[in-house]
Amino acid sequence: MAEYKLLLEHSKDPTFRTLEGYKAKGGYTALAKALTMERSAICDSIKAAGLRGRGGAGAPAFLKWGGMPKEKKTQHYLICNADEGEPGTFKDKELLENCPFLLIEGMTIGGYAVQGDAGYVYVRAEYMDGAKMLRKALDEAYAAGLLGKNILGSGIDFDIYIHLGAGSYECGEETALMSSLMGERGMPRLKFPSAPFPVISGVWEKPTLIHNVESYCNAPFIVNNGAEWFASLGATTKNSRGTKIFSVSGHVNKPGNYEIEFGTPLRELLELAGGVRGGKLKACIPGGSSVPVITAEDVERAIIGYEEMGEVKSMVGSGGCMFFNEHTDMVKLAWRSAVFYANESCGKCTPCREGTRWMVQILERICKGNGRPGDIEMLRQVASQIDGRSFCPLGDAAAWPVLAALRVFPQEFEHYIEHGHSMVDSKPSLVGVP
Amino acid sequence: MSELIQLANPNQRPPQLKPEDLTLRFSEQAVKELEALISHYPSKKSCILPGLWLAQREYGGFLSGEAIAEVACRLDRSFAEVQGVATFYSLYNTAHQPGKHKLEICTCLCCHINGAWNLRDYLVKKLGIRHGETTSDGMFTLEEVECLNTCDRAPAMQVGSEYYGPLDEKQIDALLEKLRNTQESTVVQYAADVVSVQLRNDEK
Ligand SMILES: Cc1cc2nc3c(=O)[nH]c(=O)nc-3n(C[C@H](O)[C@H](O)[C@H](O)COP(=O)(O)O)c2cc1C
Ligand code: SF4
Ligand code: FES
Repeated sequence: MAEYKLLLEHSKDPTFRTLEGYKAKGGYTALAKALTMERSAICDSIKAAGLRGRGGAGAPAFLKWGGMPKEKKTQHYLICNADEGEPGTFKDKELLENCPFLLIEGMTIGGYAVQGDAGYVYVRAEYMDGAKMLRKALDEAYAAGLLGKNILGSGIDFDIYIHLGAGSYECGEETALMSSLMGERGMPRLKFPSAPFPVISGVWEKPTLIHNVESYCNAPFIVNNGAEWFASLGATTKNSRGTKIFSVSGHVNKPGNYEIEFGTPLRELLELAGGVRGGKLKACIPGGSSVPVITAEDVERAIIGYEEMGEVKSMVGSGGCMFFNEHTDMVKLAWRSAVFYANESCGKCTPCREGTRWMVQILERICKGNGRPGDIEMLRQVASQIDGRSFCPLGDAAAWPVLAALRVFPQEFEHYIEHGHSMVDSKPSLVGVP
Repeated sequence: MSELIQLANPNQRPPQLKPEDLTLRFSEQAVKELEALISHYPSKKSCILPGLWLAQREYGGFLSGEAIAEVACRLDRSFAEVQGVATFYSLYNTAHQPGKHKLEICTCLCCHINGAWNLRDYLVKKLGIRHGETTSDGMFTLEEVECLNTCDRAPAMQVGSEYYGPLDEKQIDALLEKLRNTQESTVVQYAADVVSVQLRNDEK
């Protein structure tokens, strides 16, 4: 298997970013077709296609599309999560910059299918190039009657607005994103079963369909080519259908975005990215910083699929795949990851707010060569007490990388504490201390 | 505690202002833009984030107490609420007037393994400032930031709306030179870009 370019097929073609060029490649035929279909038929094909959310959790998209109220009593909203903040991930950036119409068409199809009034694309403010490209595309779509009032003469109205964030990873979490969209601090809200699902009461307490950029971009292909065709992609996996864009970075020769069919071995992804740079492969974080690290041996046997990655105790996540060569200090990496979560913790709940800082302190002490004999146990304890006890999944995401590093590379931690320096570098490391 | 954990400095909070002390400074253009932005949402409150970006542009890159109070006043919210929102987000400059250019250097995972620390140290030495500080001539502010999601170009840095990477010391020298000769502040330009991408053609 090699690359399977579905979403990214024309991403290198600059004309694809204009309405004319997009249409020349078959753009907007899906929307035209969707508008002749029953709303429920579109939701059904999303189900039959087996599309799962590409934002990280991999929840079946149908639960959201099909869960929106059929009878419209109030406004319905759509949100596109383009807050991409997971370290290692940059696929939504490429989609925004190179395939903006794919997102707009996908969202408009969604808007029709769930009777949406307006859609909001929440873009992280750092993505200025992507936001500018999306703006240009939206303006073109409005001018051509593909957005706004009476789209393509169908009597359907739908607006799309861009909303920029202001620098907060936590705002990628869907309920925190909604808080942020409503003009609040980016703190998460109660979730099911303590509160209704967003499809019942989401942003502004109205039914809300929220998806990642890549998820919406799949919709035009499902409508155009049919659910059966879509479901044939990735058919070798248990329950993962279609393609997935992986952002490959770290110690590789050709970092970048690579789109593959589910069921592709992880090893092939590494080959696509030109193999490891600067030494032998040591470890891989396959799905963004929140997912557990795996060893080089696991990379050899891992198959890309939501369930399949579980067999190597990791996850597909957001697709931010980082490879590390043999000279990588795994303890320092765990420390840097812990710093990230400590900085991005929103501070709402105690386990995450306090625990992430404790993890940083312990890891920093080890990295500076001052580790104490009981530190590994203490670190494991702190991490385990964050995991599953925090208000939102950011806490779990902070604990997993540390727990995984302790499980997969225990000897590195022991070596550090015993000798005061890492296994790969004999100097005590002082990174982070100006 | 790690120096990298960015604890807020309580002495740097913007002072509380009463509406009667306030001179509103938004330009006519800005008032028009704020109205257009408000029309995007079902409630005025939702416009706090875009409103703060607008203020950051109008007030020269710094959300001072006055700037925050003006946003609160124009959106009929309390000062405390808007200040609470502004201080939550890292891209709003609420602590002090930033330099003309903000150098946001990424030291997160991929940049961490690709030499970001050396570059950070290089900048610290060259400019004589550390994380969160501004050079005495008001030209540069240095900030160590989390993943910019441009890891394919690690080690990466963002200045205003632009990404740079993979960087080395020579490129940093050239970049600083270019920025010194840039007339307008990339900090203000960035806020202006944020506002303008949220507006449709017919709203500008
Ligand atoms: C801390 C945290 C950060 C997240 N960041 C993002 C993000 O940047 N982009 C994204 O699409 N989903 C992110 N998610 C997942 C969202 O909460 C949500 O599951 C997703 O937007 C749903 O879209 P999907 O069904 O298309 O996957 C994040 C989740 C958590 C807990
Ligand atoms: S786990 Fe708690 S403190 Fe951490 S981001 Fe979520 S709500 Fe905030
Ligand atoms: S780690 Fe620096 S851009 Fe992602």
